[in-house]
Amino acid sequence: MRRFTAALFLLGLGVMIAAIYQHMDFSNTAVNAGQAINVVAAQETGAANFVTSVVLAYRGIDTLLELTILFTAAMIGGMVLGRRRIDAPRDPDAGFILRTGADLLFPLLLVVGLYIILHGHLTPGGGFQGGVILASAFFLPLLARPGITLIDQRIVSLVEGLAGATFILIGLLAMFDGKEFLTPLFDKGELGALISAGSLPVLYLAVGIKVGAELAGLLAHLAEAEALD
Amino acid sequence: MNLLVLMIVLPLLTAFLLSIINRASTFAARVAGPLVLLATAAIGFSVWPQLSDAPIAMQWGGFQVPLGITLYADQFGLLFALAITIGTLLLWPRNSKNQLRSSSLALLLAGTGTGLALSGDLFNIYVFYELMTVVSYGLIAGRGTSGSFASTLRYLVISGFGAALALAGIALVYQATGTLNLAQLAQLAPEKLNNLQGFAAFVLMLVGFGVKAELFPVNMWVPEVYATASSRVSALLAGVVSKLALLIIMRLLILVFHQPEALTVLLVLGILGVVSGELAAWRARDLNRMLAFSSIGQLGVMFIALSIPGNAGVFAALAVMVHHLFLKPSMFLLAERWGGSIEKLAGAAKTSPVAAALFVLLSLSLIGVPPLPGFWAKLLVIMPMLALDQPLYYFGAFVILAAASLEANYLFRVVMKLYDKQPVDVPHKAHATVDLATAVFLGAGLIASVFMLVPLADRLDSIAAQATDVSIYIQTVAPQSLQSGSVQ
Amino acid sequence: MDILDSNTILYIAAFGLMLIGIGGIVISNHLMRIIFGIALLEAGANLLLLLSTYNEDASAPIIVNGNVPAMMADPVPQALVLTAIVIGVGILALALSLAIRVQRAYGTLDMREVRLKLEQEISADAGIDMPSSSEKPADIGEVPVNSVVQQESGS
Repeated sequence: MRRFTAALFLLGLGVMIAAIYQHMDFSNTAVNAGQAINVVAAQETGAANFVTSVVLAYRGIDTLLELTILFTAAMIGGMVLGRRRIDAPRDPDAGFILRTGADLLFPLLLVVGLYIILHGHLTPGGGFQGGVILASAFFLPLLARPGITLIDQRIVSLVEGLAGATFILIGLLAMFDGKEFLTPLFDKGELGALISAGSLPVLYLAVGIKVGAELAGLLAHLAEAEALD
Repeated sequence: MNLLVLMIVLPLLTAFLLSIINRASTFAARVAGPLVLLATAAIGFSVWPQLSDAPIAMQWGGFQVPLGITLYADQFGLLFALAITIGTLLLWPRNSKNQLRSSSLALLLAGTGTGLALSGDLFNIYVFYELMTVVSYGLIAGRGTSGSFASTLRYLVISGFGAALALAGIALVYQATGTLNLAQLAQLAPEKLNNLQGFAAFVLMLVGFGVKAELFPVNMWVPEVYATASSRVSALLAGVVSKLALLIIMRLLILVFHQPEALTVLLVLGILGVVSGELAAWRARDLNRMLAFSSIGQLGVMFIALSIPGNAGVFAALAVMVHHLFLKPSMFLLAERWGGSIEKLAGAAKTSPVAAALFVLLSLSLIGVPPLPGFWAKLLVIMPMLALDQPLYYFGAFVILAAASLEANYLFRVVMKLYDKQPVDVPHKAHATVDLATAVFLGAGLIASVFMLVPLADRLDSIAAQATDVSIYIQTVAPQSLQSGSVQ
Repeated sequence: MDILDSNTILYIAAFGLMLIGIGGIVISNHLMRIIFGIALLEAGANLLLLLSTYNEDASAPIIVNGNVPAMMADPVPQALVLTAIVIGVGILALALSLAIRVQRAYGTLDMREVRLKLEQEISADAGIDMPSSSEKPADIGEVPVNSVVQQESGS
């Protein structure tokens, strides 16, 4: 009975959505903040990748908040799951393939992750994508050999704190310069060069390291959660 | 250069660095949070006088108006920014088990609450709102009991559902207008959003942001969370955070969504909230959940007030909000030691006479007994409703009055128990001095407002007038009136 | 409805994902399925956001070797979705952590049972007799005492 009413409810919702879709107007392209950004972004930020310009410059505060959400989620995750008991049973080591694969992939993932972070202002990718790859680099060994301590939690918390603080401090630096918070700084350089776009690559590096540290920490907390009896 | 940014950024920075500070000195980590909040509150107060002439707008990163993100400070926004900063300071978590994390979370709550109140960009509001939600998960779960985990998870499910709907609403708005800036949306709304799509977007965002504002269908989390979280956290969530969510809905309503149907939706949901909340509070058998349900009822009154068109509605809603802002945290602080069954409260007035007297005062104001501010707040809601001369508004006014008698019934039940002469077998616990002092401080604010009623009402009226004037908003954010389509 | 152009198909996908997500939340009682329902709903909303200014002919808003594409896609929804996805990941991880603790404390992830046990726990704490049972659930999920100090310094 309950499923029937739920199905009926969903059907009604579907019809409503269809009605809304029928009334949607796809013709307007007159006003568009995004297209306006496309026109001025190269000049204003010096980054060849305009999505990066939006993420770090035009909507930089959103990105800062997003990092804060990850920071908070990782902190709460740690608080909720707690530390495992010393005598809690652990999963056995994984098989030969996963162990060897993890060893081989570890440096590779680090390099790829850093490459993607550092080229975030030039090519698709950036701090988030690269940060996730970095996190997986540190998580893979944990899957292969449960129980190894690859990274000290203290170092993780130091890195995440400092990376987040770097982002804010770069923003504050602009304020000391008499500009608004998070105004892009430094020389914009040549469009498309690796060292260009002023402070954006530095911000993206902070984002990448922060995302990597938070996600690795969250995954480690989840992996460390004691198996249920 | 605008110092208001620091009100948002400094708490975040401190929260990031708190665990590092803690390594250097535990004492420094302990005092850093309150000190930073004192500093940000001082910044807020220093900016306050400028705002009565004209609001301030600034751009994060200094980009042109529709491209970047706008921060918009008017008296309305700054009032609630200060409320969350000072509220967090007063209700600073005292959790010996997880002090460091709780301090970080409290700082983040103050920073994001401020940002939410001052944000002038739709998606930025969403991100601030999400961050505030995640922070409140942490504060609730910080108690560490299995009940707090379960209630947080159930809260997370409802909240996640709402947030995704709000995101879909934002997508619909961006599809229709191509901008997220509230000032530009206010200009484009009559043309682009006064249709079915705009209404759908409004409903989606109302449900999404309504989760925290204890809106009727998405408030199942309220009794569970307030019963399992610590009293200070409940006081913060019910007292301040719910108002911030309401502030977002008010801003959207004033600036972007002008459909008459939107007001009807608010009125109906508000009435349902009042009815369901007050009836559940009447049935509740422990103080925490009684207060939780009654807070659903009061938020319902605020939604009803919002449904009154024009300046009067915003003024009335603002009055009820400010009243509730003082009252609810104080009540939750009193409930800290009176948590259990109401039956067990018999004779508690003997152990803590001050707390009991304060509870009586708060109850009277909540019900709306004449000289107290609660009466004037409710009057401000009911009078314009009757003046509208529409059946549904008449019904709404009737519901508010009926709810007041229900409130009187269940609150006096508690008061009767407090002053019960019967001997008790279990001795009552006296209130912690800090809790009682904070509660008395807030209660004193209520009494003080009785003597300053006229200037206070004038001030609130001017705040409401400033908030409802769309042209002020547009002029402040974009002085060179934006032509639709052309971006300089 | 006229012919199914690519825009319509994409919108059907976005709204469909949202409906499936809502369906999962409304119909199922298992918390894991509800959490996945939220993830699907979020995915649908993200797709909707991407579609808001979608244009088939536009190319990625990136300048490669100095060539400026004639028509570039709107970078704003892409940046917004990036933000929304990361937020979603954080909340998903948090939901899973909480689910682990709830399962450990209550021995179930069925929403109805969790709700019932939560109700019982609150009532037991408040000292109210529940008609069904006033037994407080066992606190098997507590953090070991000795770890508290380490936690404080560790994060």
